[in-house]
Amino acid sequence: MRIGRKAQAGTMQSSDLMVALEPADELTVEIESTVKRQFEHLIRAVAERVLTAHGVTAGRIRITDRGALDYAIQARLETALSRAAEG
Amino acid sequence: MVVELSSSADRARARALVAAQGLSFEEGFDDLVGAFEGGALVATGARSGDVLEQIAIDPGHQGGSLLGELVGELTRLGLAAGHQGLFVFTRPEHAVSFEALNFRLLASQATVALLEYGGRFEAWLEACRPRLRTRGAGGGPAEAGAVVMNCNPFTLGHRWLVEQAAARVEVLYLFVVREDRSAFPFEVRRRLAEEGTRHLPNVVVLDTSHYAVSAITFPAYFLAKGAPVAAAQLELDLGLFGARIAPAFRVRRRFFGSEPSCATTRAYNDAMHRLLPRWGVEPVELARLEVGGAPISASTVRAALARHDLAALKALVPGPTLAYLLSPEGQATGARLAASQGRNG
Repeated sequence: MRIGRKAQAGTMQSSDLMVALEPADELTVEIESTVKRQFEHLIRAVAERVLTAHGVTAGRIRITDRGALDYAIQARLETALSRAAEG
Repeated sequence: MVVELSSSADRARARALVAAQGLSFEEGFDDLVGAFEGGALVATGARSGDVLEQIAIDPGHQGGSLLGELVGELTRLGLAAGHQGLFVFTRPEHAVSFEALNFRLLASQATVALLEYGGRFEAWLEACRPRLRTRGAGGGPAEAGAVVMNCNPFTLGHRWLVEQAAARVEVLYLFVVREDRSAFPFEVRRRLAEEGTRHLPNVVVLDTSHYAVSAITFPAYFLAKGAPVAAAQLELDLGLFGARIAPAFRVRRRFFGSEPSCATTRAYNDAMHRLLPRWGVEPVELARLEVGGAPISASTVRAALARHDLAALKALVPGPTLAYLLSPEGQATGARLAASQGRNG
């Protein structure tokens, strides 16, 4: 799927993340995190796994993270994806 | 939980909380949110366009999760409204709390810090990067100079200043003010600056985005003539230029024209003399080009356009600008100017 419209999920609370999706020609994943230096590659790996599982091929994915664990990243991203897909 | 404050009673509570923190409450925001505890408002914050403001938390509730809740909600609303990023002005001692929320510090001085969420500053630098000049294979980046101009519109005075500056540096970056609050739209101002400097191979025309002489960094430039200029504002604008922009572009000198009349621009020039050396940037003030005994200014050009004075225009602007001013689009701007009498050079 392509991201057809804007959607968001999550919060700025500690141990959480905010995900913002918007339409774009290519698939890009931008990550800001208070623990970026240590964990950016792991956050990216989880995001890419979820995007692949949902067949996302195009869209701008913006993540701002405050030390969220994998299942939170997955849940927030999936919620945002389902909001982007709603009619 | 953070909720929207829409009733007049809630707004009055927000006003009291903001005032208790020594801030002034201003109407005209797009969103006003707050959090209650036991029926009392303990935190509030507002969003006006892409700026978060009036963020106040009751002293007994500071240090917890309220700031993140407030700012998270305001950010969510700002992104939903279509903004790519958000700014916040705060006291320097609170900057670190915003950095913990993934805001990045842009500039800071004694009383105020400016931070941004969304990575737009880095994205702007990245977008400029392909246009940066180097000395050729393995030569490293060129020693650069910079001018920041509104070019409203591009005059012979602008061209002369750019020529003088370009002759003194390896490469000159001409930053055209992006903020669209001037008589001529940004795309026109930039195009005429590009066409008017095409004969200078070491001049590169870029835009300032939000990061120099913008509504964020230097709002006084766009306000009514004679409005007092806060020192803090000048220090933020020039601090951002000196500490962040100049190193990214290898700028060692910033050139600007002398200002005989406008007090706001003069205050800005004085601040450049005073502040830029802190960051290793040499301020270079150049006398303005004169025609008929008076320095050329864009406001003179706009006045001539408004009264259809073709002879005056020919003496004040280069060919591409003249062609535009005589086009239907330029004439329409002239008619608007005649009706309103704007300002800003």
